[in-house]
Order: sequence, then C-alpha cells, then structure tokens
Amino acid sequence: MSATTETIEQLIDHGYVAGFVTNIDAETFEPGLDEDVIRRISLIKREPEWMTQLRIQAYQDWLNMVPPDWAHLKIPAIDFQTISYYSAPKKKGDGPKSLDEIDPEILDTYNKLGIPLEEQKALAGIAVDAVFDSVSVATTFREKLSEAGVIFCSMSEALQEHPDLVRKYFASVVPHKDNFFAALNAAVFSDGTFVYIPPNVRCPMELSTYFRINESNTGQFERTLIIADEGSYVSYLEGCTAPQRDENQLHAAVVELVALGDATIKYSTVQNWYPGDEQGRGGIYNFVTKRGDCRGDRAHISWTQVETGSAITWKYPSCILRGNDSVGEFYSVAVTKGLQQADTGTKMIHMGRNTRSTVVSKGISAGKAHNTYRGLVRIARRAEHARNHTQCDSLLIGDRCGAHTYPYIEVKNPSADVEHEATTSKISEDQLFYCQQRGLDEEAAISMIVNGFCKEVLKELPMEFAVEARKLLNVTLEGAVG
Amino acid sequence: MNSSIIGQDWFQNTLLSNQPEIEKSKVLAVNNIQAKARNQLKHLVMPNRKQETWRYTDLNSLYEKMFKLNDRKTIDAIDVDEWIFPEQESYRLVMVNGRFNPQLSSLEGLSDRIIISAFSQLSAELQFDAARILQTINSFESDAFAQMNRSLFSDGFYIHVPKNTWIEKPIEIAYVNHSSDDQVLSQPSSLIILENDAQAKVVERYMSLDEAEYFFNGTSDIVLKKNAHLKHYRIQQESHNAYHLSRVALKQKNGSIYKNVNLALGGCWSRMDIQTAFEGQQASCDLQGVYTVRDQQYNDIHIDVKHQQPNCTSQEKFRGIIHGKGRAVFDGRILVSKDAQKTDAQLSNKNLLLVDDAEINTKPQLEIYADDVKCSHGTTVGKINPEHMFYLRARGIPEDQAYRMLCLGFAEQVLEAIEDKPIQNYIHGLLSNLL
Repeated sequence: MSATTETIEQLIDHGYVAGFVTNIDAETFEPGLDEDVIRRISLIKREPEWMTQLRIQAYQDWLNMVPPDWAHLKIPAIDFQTISYYSAPKKKGDGPKSLDEIDPEILDTYNKLGIPLEEQKALAGIAVDAVFDSVSVATTFREKLSEAGVIFCSMSEALQEHPDLVRKYFASVVPHKDNFFAALNAAVFSDGTFVYIPPNVRCPMELSTYFRINESNTGQFERTLIIADEGSYVSYLEGCTAPQRDENQLHAAVVELVALGDATIKYSTVQNWYPGDEQGRGGIYNFVTKRGDCRGDRAHISWTQVETGSAITWKYPSCILRGNDSVGEFYSVAVTKGLQQADTGTKMIHMGRNTRSTVVSKGISAGKAHNTYRGLVRIARRAEHARNHTQCDSLLIGDRCGAHTYPYIEVKNPSADVEHEATTSKISEDQLFYCQQRGLDEEAAISMIVNGFCKEVLKELPMEFAVEARKLLNVTLEGAVG
Repeated sequence: MNSSIIGQDWFQNTLLSNQPEIEKSKVLAVNNIQAKARNQLKHLVMPNRKQETWRYTDLNSLYEKMFKLNDRKTIDAIDVDEWIFPEQESYRLVMVNGRFNPQLSSLEGLSDRIIISAFSQLSAELQFDAARILQTINSFESDAFAQMNRSLFSDGFYIHVPKNTWIEKPIEIAYVNHSSDDQVLSQPSSLIILENDAQAKVVERYMSLDEAEYFFNGTSDIVLKKNAHLKHYRIQQESHNAYHLSRVALKQKNGSIYKNVNLALGGCWSRMDIQTAFEGQQASCDLQGVYTVRDQQYNDIHIDVKHQQPNCTSQEKFRGIIHGKGRAVFDGRILVSKDAQKTDAQLSNKNLLLVDDAEINTKPQLEIYADDVKCSHGTTVGKINPEHMFYLRARGIPEDQAYRMLCLGFAEQVLEAIEDKPIQNYIHGLLSNLL
C-alpha cells in the first residue's frame, strides 16, 4: 500500500503545465469598480448607448445582491475593489488586421498552449477566437466562415457590426438579475465571442475560443453568445488556462446559447484554469453562468465539459427546453485534487411537450478535494411526456476527499418519466490487480480504469478535444488506488 | 411579509398563549427541559422557505393558524374501536390530544422490570431519569418545532426494556386527536430505550376521531444499545384537516438493528422527519415507507442517515403514490463521515404521479467523505405503465380495479417486507380504501 500511496502523491502533485506568464505591454485599469469604470469600458469599446445603460443597470442591481452561499463550497470573501476590470495587450496602431500584426509574444503563448493560431490550424479545421485577458486578440478563418454566412467574431466587433442581432438576443437567456456573478459580468464584461449561424447552415468547421488570463490582479469577465438559427448546426469548443500565481483570480463568465427550431448547438469545454498549489494558494475562482435556451421545436443543445482546473468551480450549464420535442444534454467530467473544490451540475427545465434530457456526470475527487454534483430537473405542468435520465457517478481517490450528490427533482406533470441514479465508489483492488497482472504498470492501469469511468462523457467531445481531455486526465488523476 | 418574521411571531404567540397551561406542571425535571428549550428557541431562526430543509414546505398555511394545548376536559367521551392487535395480545397506550388516557390503555401482564408508561404516570424518580436521558441525548437541537415541543413539554411515553429482555407482545400506541373549542395543539414526546440484547416491537398510530383541525407536533427519541433490536411501525392516518409534524431521532450502538416502516397517508399538511446516527459498528438501519397524496394534501418525508462509524449498513426505501392534486416531497440524505469506511448505504425513492396538477419534489442526496464505501441512490417519477393496464384490462378487470391493483402492487415493494401479518393486513386495508 505504501508504494502505491507514493505514486498517488506523485501523480496528484503533478505540476501545472500552462502556468507560465507572458511578458507583454498591457493596458490595465487600476483596481476598483464604480460606475466610472463601467463607463470607461463601454467607451473604449465604443458601445451603443443601450449597452452602456444595461451595464449601469446591472451594476446598480449587483450592488444590492449577495454572493450565493448555498453551494457546498468554502469561498473566501472576495474584495471586488481589488480587482482590475479591464486589461488588454497594448495595440500597435489600430489593432491587428491579420495574424501578422499580433504581438509575437501572444502568438507564442498560444503556441505553447498548443493552440496555434496560424495557418497550420487549417489542417485541424478549427476556427479559433483567442481571448487574452479582457480582449479578443485574434479570430481565424473569418473569411471562410463568412462565405457560409456564419458570423464568428468578438463580442466588441459584433456590437459594432451586428448591433441588431446582439441587441435582440443579448441577456435574453441569462438576464443580468439572474444571479450575483451574472450581474457583475453584465456590468463589466470586456469581450467574448459572438456566433450566429444562419438558417439551414451547417457550420463548416468547429468553432473555438481560447481564454487566457495573463495579467495579475485582473478578473476575466467574458460573455459568449451563440445563436443557431432555424435548422442550423454548430459545434463550439472552449478552453481556458492561466498563469501560476499566489493570488486568487476571478473568472465570472456568462455563456448564452439560443437554439431556434431544428437547430443544434454542441458546446464543449475543457476547463484547465490554474488550480492553485498544494497548500491551496492561488488559483482561479471559476464562477460561470451558462445557459442554453431551446426556443424552437426540435432544438437540441448539448453541453460537454471536462473540468480539471480552478481552485473553486461554481458552474451549472443549463438547458431550458421550451420548444416541443427539444433535447437537452449534459455530459460532465469534473476532477478535483489537492484543495480544489467544485460544485457543478446542470439544470434541465422541461417546458415543451415531448422534451427529453440526459445528464451524465462523472466526478472524481482526490487529495483533500471536494466534488459536488448539484442538479435540477424540473418538469413543468404543460410538459407532456417529458423524459429525463440522470446518472451521477463519483470516484473517490484517498480517504481525505469528499464526493457529494444533491439532485433536485420537481415534477408537475403525470406523463413524465424521470430517473435519477447515483453511485459512489473507489477503484477496486480487483480491477487494479487484473490490469497489473496483465503487465500494465500501476499508472497505466489506473489511467485505463479512469478513462473507462469517464468514457461516456469523453466520447461526446469532438476529436481534437477528446485527445486533450484524455491527456489532462492522465496528468491529473492517474493516482486512483483503493 | 417575510415568512421568517411570520414564523417568529407565530412561535412567540404559540408559546405565550400556552404558557399558563404548562405552568401547572410542578415537576422539576420537566421544568428544566422546558427552560432549556425556551432558551434554545431564542437562538434559532424560525423555519422558512429560504432554509434548505424547509425549501419545499409550505409553512404559511400553518403559520396562519393558532393552536392551543388541550385543557383535558373532553377526553373521556371517546373510544378507540379499531386496534391492529387483539387486546390480550398487545400492550395498549392511548394519548388523546397529547394527554395520556389511562382508561383506554391497558398494560395487563407487564413485568415489573419493563417500563412502559406515560411520562405523567411515572414516579418522580423515574421522571427525573427520563428527563435526564432526554437532555443528554439533546436531539433536534436546531429544529425550532422540536424545541417548541420541549418548551411546552406536557406528556409522552417512556419505554425502557432492560438487558436481555424480549417483549413478545407488540406495544400499540394510539395518538388520538379530536376537536374541542380551540384548534388543538397536541405535542407528545416519547423516549424508547432498549438496553443490550433487548428486543421490542412498537406500533405508533396517529389518528383523528373526526374532521378535526389540529396541529400534532411530536418527537420520538430512540436509543438502541448493543445488539438491541427494535421493529418500529408508524402509521399516520389522520383527518383531512390535520397538521402533522413528527420526528424520530435514533441512536444505535454496536450490532443493533432498527427496522422501521412509515405510512404517511392523512392530514392536509404532514411532514415526517427521521434522523438516524450510528454510534457503534456493525449496526444496521432499515427505513421504509409509503406516502400518498390526495387533493389539496401536502405530504413530506425527510430522512437523514448519518454514517459516522465504520461497517454499518443502512437501507432507505420509499414509495410515493400521488393520486390527487396535491404535493409530495421526499428529501433523503446519506452522510458518510471520514471514518465510516465499509459503509453500505442504499437509498431508493420511487413515485407514481397519477394526475394532472399534482407535484412531486424529490431530493436524494449523498454526502460522502470516506472512500471505501458502497453508496447509491436512485429516484424515479413515472406513471402507470399502459401495458400493465392493458394486461389487466384484457383479462376483464375493470379499469378502477386494475388501477388499484397496480398502485397496491407498487406499494407492495415496501409492504412485503413487513414480517408481522396483522400489520401488513391492516396497512393493505388502509391503502385499498384510500386509492
């Protein structure tokens, strides 16, 4: 047992590979938050008046709100006045027209992270929007996408170029009053990604945003809005990393998805924010509001997430199944180790007839970490023949961690079929023995078993991401031994 | 107005208006309990929907009403005519509106070594003993309704089974409530202690004599010492106007076995809480139950199973039949602490939702801090399978009868485990009358 314990600890202590800092000139606001800061952000971005008003309104409402305390998390008090709400790499001239004009340091950063923004990405066939601290620095493949009529740009550009679209859908899924962090985000959001897929278009390539926090003392408050018009399809990937620092940084994002009739949105996340060191110093607070709205009949929204980073994760990607026959899916792997805490899950709100939802959540908890699944399945009175199946499995590694399951099930229609099942276990000695007996070393055996445990979720990821996610799993949680 | 403020007022008024009635008791032991609870109440936030444990509970309808302790004028005129066990084959205890009724009770043939008695009938010495135990156990510390029960402590049952003693006859307790001029507040507290290797069977029934509107607010404390074995049946069959709130706090030592079946059928507002804790190893706890909901009824089951010791097993199995436009709540938590390795805990909650405009909120929770455990929970909400219905109809069974058969069959998953035939038959009867 002692030998295995050693391996566990080695593996759990595995360093954070994305923890470097990029030295570039940045224009960063002084820490602090008041109406002035919000007006300045709005001014820099040359936003229309309605957006400035929305921000101010959100700020006013935020002042009267309190941070949520119902999650199974210990969140140290956050001083919102010590955070800088805007940081952008200093631009040469009027900002990059093409990739050549982007600061080579930034390009290099993304290369180090394995996200080449340059043309070789053509082989991978993914269009990338790179968000560096508060602003979007590069969006690739825009021409090719615009041939198909797809709009893929930063939120700031969208506000300039497609104000009507933005105005129609912005904050329509996550209103600014939704919760404390959504209100903060609406007040201070700096940039984000905007996607519009026109009717009956299948987006020709995977779209992707890569978020990177670089400056210290900043928070990242991005806002993503994806609209899939009738009969369209889009698959969207999101990745995140941050440098290794002793301080905690706040990431409070809002993601809104709108799927109209017969549209499909597939949203995949690999979240690998800096989780803090083994003493729990530093790390990102990942307080994100993600929600998808199936507005039309037969719309389909699918969330897939692999969560390995962040000191604290508070995140519940949800689906509002408004349209008849609409489908919501949530596949999640959440890994916590060290002193990480995660309280994550989903909400499936069934409102239309024959709506279906599937929830598969795999939680893995190691070290002294706590991993919580919290989910809501609500079948409204008019949601005839709604169907939900939820499965939550937890894997515990070591005897100092915790795994918790808090499902809420509210059913108001007798024709509904709702099932929830949850299990908690560890990797059994038998499984390990079986693999080791066949010549696999312990690490490989554990990796294999854990990958098997997460298989149902990993298979939902687009291929490129699945590879990345597997790699991440291998470095973070191979040490599962009972 | 904010419901926590409404609650605050309600508690204060209830306490104040009932205080004179309570001061008649001269027993010092009881006075201590009352004083301590009153003090405790000052530190509590009154239940409101912002609190997680009261999230789905509609308290406002309760807070709108005022209830008064009964002044024992009307208790002689009634009779309990329906018993599960024949008179010679059981011990009978009857409490009317929260007061012990010796005329209706019978303890014939009871050995001197065993205590089965109302609190008010105990000798001063035994009263002190019981009060001291209640205070040491100190359950429901943060539960305002339980503290209200203690603050206005009036009467209850004390059952004490000494070492190596098996009580062969079941103890059947009837809590009978009926209306008087006021809306009655009935709040017995009972204490059951089984010493090492003792065994007993207790049936508690909560009933109404008429369509009385009253608030039953009872507590039961149970302590099972080493290898003790208790079978505990609770049948709530109250009137359509009753408010029922009852809780069980169980503590189990090494090797003890607790088998519990709950039936929550009546009341317009009913909530049963069961909290169990293991204080020794190799103990097992089995909680099962059936709840039904008819029109305008609110029925709530809260289970909290704490595994704080290694090698214990628990099973929770509850079935809900929602056949009217009401609301059911099931909230079950299994907590496994750091040291409770080799825990085996399984929770299952299944619900039949049979009508429109009804609602079920279910929340099975696992909170696990140990790694070598087997824990699972499962929940379903569904309707009657049309194929099952077709099968029965194709065999000439009328629809309403087929419907009843299928509902009973669903409840059977719990009822079949009842080893005492008379109880099983009685519950069958109750359910088929209801559906």
